[in-house]
Amino acid sequence: MEHSITFTGENIDAKVKVSTNTLLADAAHDAGIDIGQPCGGQGRCGRCAVQVTSGDVRRRSTLRLSLDDIAQGYALACQTVVEGDVAIYIPPQEKIERRLTTDRVVAEVSVPSDYEYPFTQSVRRMHLTLTPPSMDDQTDDWSRTQTAFRLQHRMEQIVCSVGLLRKMGEVLREKDWRVTAIIETGNLEEGHPTRLIDLRAGHEDEYAPLWGCAVDIGTTTVTLWLVDLVTGQVKAQVAEYNGQISRGEDVVSRIIYAAKKSGGDELRQRVLDTINGLLELACKRVKLPEGNLTPEQLVKATIAGNSTMMHLLLGIPASNIRLSPFITAVNQPPTSTAREVGLNISPEAVVDCLPGVASYVGADITAGVLSSGLDNAENVTLFLDVGTNGETVLGNRDWLVTCACSAGPAFEGAGVVNGMRATTGAIEEVWINSETLEPTYRVIGGGKPKGICGSGLISLLSEAFLTGILDKGGNVNLTAGSSRVREGAHGGEYVVAWGAETESGEDIVITRVDIDNLLRAKAAIYAGFTVLAENVGIPLETTDKVLVGGSFGKYINVEKAVQIGLLPDMEWNRFEFLGNTSVKGAYYALLDWRKRERISEIAKRMTYIELSADNSFYDAFTSALFLPHTDLRRFPSVESALGKV
Amino acid sequence: MPIEIPKDKWAGSIRAITIGATSAEGGTRSRCVTIGGETTMPYLHFEAPTPNKPVIAIEIKSRKPEDWSPLLMEVWGEAMTDPAQWAKKSEEAGADLIALGLTVEDTPDDAVRIVKSVLSATGLPLIVWGPGQAEKDNEVLVPVSEATKGEKLVLGICEDKNYRTIVATAMANGHLVQARAPMDVNLSKQLNILISDMGMPKERIIMDPTTGALGYGIEYGYSVMERLRLAALQGDAMTQYPMIVTPGFEAWKTKEAKVGEGVPEAWGDWKARAIHWETLTAIALVESGADIVVLRHPESVARVKDAIEELITA
Amino acid sequence: MALSGIQIYKLLPQTNCKECSFPTCLAFAMKLAAKQVELSACPYVSEESKKQLAESAAPPIRLISLRANGTELKVGNEVVMFRHEKTFYNKPGLFLRVKASDPDLAKKVAAADAYKVNYVGMDFSIDGFAIELDGNPEAAKTVRSVTKRPLILIGNDAAALDSTLSQLAGESTLIYAADSSNHESLADVAKKHKAILAVKADSLEALADLTQKVQARGVEDMVLDLGGKNLGEWLTRSTQARRLALKSNFKPLGYPTIFFAAQNGLDKEAVYASQAITKYAGFVVIDTFAPEMIYPLLVLRENIYTDPQKPIQVQPGIYEINSPKPDSPVLVTTNFSITYFAVANEVEGSGLPAWLVVTDAEGMSVLTAWAAGKFDAERIAKAIKGFNVEEKVSKKRIVLPGHVAVLSGEVEEELPGWEVRVGPREAVDLPAFMKQVLN
Repeated sequence: MEHSITFTGENIDAKVKVSTNTLLADAAHDAGIDIGQPCGGQGRCGRCAVQVTSGDVRRRSTLRLSLDDIAQGYALACQTVVEGDVAIYIPPQEKIERRLTTDRVVAEVSVPSDYEYPFTQSVRRMHLTLTPPSMDDQTDDWSRTQTAFRLQHRMEQIVCSVGLLRKMGEVLREKDWRVTAIIETGNLEEGHPTRLIDLRAGHEDEYAPLWGCAVDIGTTTVTLWLVDLVTGQVKAQVAEYNGQISRGEDVVSRIIYAAKKSGGDELRQRVLDTINGLLELACKRVKLPEGNLTPEQLVKATIAGNSTMMHLLLGIPASNIRLSPFITAVNQPPTSTAREVGLNISPEAVVDCLPGVASYVGADITAGVLSSGLDNAENVTLFLDVGTNGETVLGNRDWLVTCACSAGPAFEGAGVVNGMRATTGAIEEVWINSETLEPTYRVIGGGKPKGICGSGLISLLSEAFLTGILDKGGNVNLTAGSSRVREGAHGGEYVVAWGAETESGEDIVITRVDIDNLLRAKAAIYAGFTVLAENVGIPLETTDKVLVGGSFGKYINVEKAVQIGLLPDMEWNRFEFLGNTSVKGAYYALLDWRKRERISEIAKRMTYIELSADNSFYDAFTSALFLPHTDLRRFPSVESALGKV
Repeated sequence: MPIEIPKDKWAGSIRAITIGATSAEGGTRSRCVTIGGETTMPYLHFEAPTPNKPVIAIEIKSRKPEDWSPLLMEVWGEAMTDPAQWAKKSEEAGADLIALGLTVEDTPDDAVRIVKSVLSATGLPLIVWGPGQAEKDNEVLVPVSEATKGEKLVLGICEDKNYRTIVATAMANGHLVQARAPMDVNLSKQLNILISDMGMPKERIIMDPTTGALGYGIEYGYSVMERLRLAALQGDAMTQYPMIVTPGFEAWKTKEAKVGEGVPEAWGDWKARAIHWETLTAIALVESGADIVVLRHPESVARVKDAIEELITA
Repeated sequence: MALSGIQIYKLLPQTNCKECSFPTCLAFAMKLAAKQVELSACPYVSEESKKQLAESAAPPIRLISLRANGTELKVGNEVVMFRHEKTFYNKPGLFLRVKASDPDLAKKVAAADAYKVNYVGMDFSIDGFAIELDGNPEAAKTVRSVTKRPLILIGNDAAALDSTLSQLAGESTLIYAADSSNHESLADVAKKHKAILAVKADSLEALADLTQKVQARGVEDMVLDLGGKNLGEWLTRSTQARRLALKSNFKPLGYPTIFFAAQNGLDKEAVYASQAITKYAGFVVIDTFAPEMIYPLLVLRENIYTDPQKPIQVQPGIYEINSPKPDSPVLVTTNFSITYFAVANEVEGSGLPAWLVVTDAEGMSVLTAWAAGKFDAERIAKAIKGFNVEEKVSKKRIVLPGHVAVLSGEVEEELPGWEVRVGPREAVDLPAFMKQVLN
């Protein structure tokens, strides 16, 4: 029986006649419309979704569609056949990509709704008008200032540094004894007196911007947000490689390097250079009426980072962090000043290094818990920070447990032959046609590929597995029947892009060794959270939500991450991707002393579980060292996907 | 007082597997051996009977092994120079199966000839092991497999680095395979998955969890076997295979069994100790779920057989 | 039923006061759940919580302690059916049975008492003696004069037991055994001398009745003889008793058991004893003092009672792969079993001969051990020297794992005269490296 099919869409208006049971994709082809099918018409990628606006169709597979999608008429062109006259709307490709239920985009940052300067801010401006001195009143400048604090603001006991005294005389007199004091109030710690941070001539506009920054010192990347403390707005976000990288790629190498003669000083200087450079860069992005912002105008910095990074920043020996029983010098560093730490901001500015829990669970995680909201969760929630150290936190508002495991840097593109960070030129997604084994990929920025980033590696591993290029043990099947599958220097490998397509002219491949590294990384992370959950007796499937932090790029394909066994097999809407949760937590703490106190509480409340204490981690690790897992029953969705390919 | 004994109710069971084929089944064996089928932890008759008792294979080599203990040389004597002879004596010693180990010196032709000679010397089902090096194993096992099509031999030893060729030839010629992983539940399971993903029928896989001898890591193998059995009973299809272990090989490697001179006096009489070493290693593994134990000394065979009878007839 | 860490946590004060020496109440709760700490370490736990926790904390199998002059043997307190679930804690005592009437009693006991055997650096011996009271009222004194080890007294004559126990004042001795006919008189003797009483009956039901009666008469410490005519029957009973204690929290059978290995003949003794060791016996009594049997039994006991939660390690040392010759390469790795297997299997599979030096890295993999300072130049050099590698090889050249390339300079300093080569990071690349680079 003949049916009439109409296609509409952006610049599309076509009509064809086809018989019953014709695939929508074939009908479209007959109508001269090319619907992209990256997976080769296998119903796996969902990229060929179209909207059936009227008429009867039969969907053979709805693997990539949610119930909502189906209610809205979505159907996969490669899996749907016509059963009558049908009208089809072909949505623009971007819309499809955004709509795909599995692609979770990282949440944006906004000023917390409960932020109210100056009530929740520990740093604030105060106007002082001093009585000018006279022959009758020869009180010294500092006492005179203190009197003004007392009389005009009812504030006693202000602490002042020698550095400020040096410029005080001039500043007081410049605008006729009218000054703006920047102070840090004593809210943070009991008995912590109010401290004078800066003294500026004249009365500044009370609500003019007051500058601060939130910093996350990662082992690989340092991220800095420049913040107006008055409005709470983030005015610039900058990031740069940690200058310590050239002295070791992981924390252990850094610790060893720091223990060498003057190694600690060198590493401290390197990270300071990185942060000070980022401060310059961020300030350049802020135009003020009187010219560019300068770092010296910043009065507060809040810093998160893993315990090793914190030790190295503060010049504290870190050797005991790596040696059993893994003890830090300090988990809760005292509040300090820019002068002491060495940051090129206002010398007396507050430098607040956030507290950590243990050697391998640092302030990056406590800050991450705060920003992810895990500590307020009603139901049991899992928080994963996927980095070189895979840290996991499980809990809710009543209890929190945490562990860390060494995952290696594979998901950050390191330790993989053609790996790279998620920047321009990185292949961020791959699809492989299961008939021809030919790949289709997407490159960040759209140009020629330079390498593969974390999310690209995840989708590549998953596709290679589902199409039979890899067996469940990750072995490359050299008899798969494609010139892209070949014997390389390290065993089997798969060519993702031939040299002719790439920026360097060299083939981009994934090798057996890369696959092993990726398997180990995903196995360590999966084992970390499963053992943690077992340790406290919480079945993983009862966790309400899975919050994922880390720098995969701007999104991660949950389905692929599940297919390789990195993430647990749960409904996709239970995952949330939060991006860099550490800098975000530092930002919240920078703004609001209540949140800063909350982080201290989180650090005290978190129970650290040492995974190396028994064999259960090792067991969980070896069972996860398989695609997707030795126990396929834990991955029912993958089991069914395997059945369909 | 009346007591209610807690009984475990399991969802899964071990697959029953038959080794060897009689003429009716396309082979030449005088009898077959069926193992597995258990539905409880070992010998808990109050939960369910044990359908097939564990069996004993005696290990022989294609050539006289120069590095075996003098005690073994003494007991097998001249038979060690002729695998067919050795197999016959093993059958007399009470073996249920023969485990024939080929050596690196065997050419493919030698291997086929030796296997055939053993098959004609005894009616027992046969396990054939390659010399233990990937390339050599494949080189000799493929022709052996083809030349004995239909005999339902057990071919081994498949390991994660080398299983494809052995599995393929066993599949094509109706044999079984022995799948060995190094004392780890997950690795055992993974190898079973890889082998069955190749299309090998599940009733033709026997898993070898590997064991250590008494004093040399037996506790790892012991617990791995208990865990594999538990996982199988809990319904994990990829662990529901009968288990073969090689306590003879492991025990006779140890100084305690192998040598009689230059050892502490506190070790006592050499021969008695050596037999104890092999027997106790085997008994512990039988208690933890072994379906086939491969032994070397006839006295150990007698003792382990006796213990199995007691366990089975409770 | 045992409570999980989170369940216990809910019963604790949740103040994170740290006075228990754990950083948080949850950390303490998890240790409690693992039975690695006593509840009394928490000064603030409420009475109500204590009551609830006591139930889950009480050991399902009573801890029995046999004491003599300064020697003590603890048995019981087990919490699992299978050792991998946690561990088996208290090794069964191995006792040698002797007859009071034996004219050579002192000599026999003295010889067995002196027996000592070394296994991987540990000295093992038997734990005590079971004296069959068949005459000779002075037997206990005789035995005591030649051994300090704990004793079991076998007999059913209450008066004889009473007088013998009087000779063993201050000790904690096991009496074997009360049955339905004599349990009252034996219980009284046990009570009087604070002795432990073994009880025996034909069935678990009868045994449970008996332990309750004995308990009612004032004896708390008991040991069970489960009976059973052969290996299979004893396995069944032992499993059932253990399950009742652990899973049903059935107190009348929550005691350690005693097993006589020679009950069906001396030729079965070793096998019987070995099953008793693996399958839950608290006391194993043998009749034969034969080092060739006792040594393997003691080793079996040690193996089965090793804590399986400890990382799996291989013995550090030098391993020969494919019959190496003096000019074969020397490879170095750590003693984490999987690391060792990965390296050994790759090389073995390639057929290339090599010496594999396994260092003591406390069971960690190469990278972890290096990170934790357990696989450094000093330790590698110590292994090379300690295992006398120099005497075995003609070519003094060692290959380090690629992951610790950074150590090559330091290793050269520590090992003058040795050439240090950096191998591949992954074991899978070893055969190619050995073929292409080392030749």
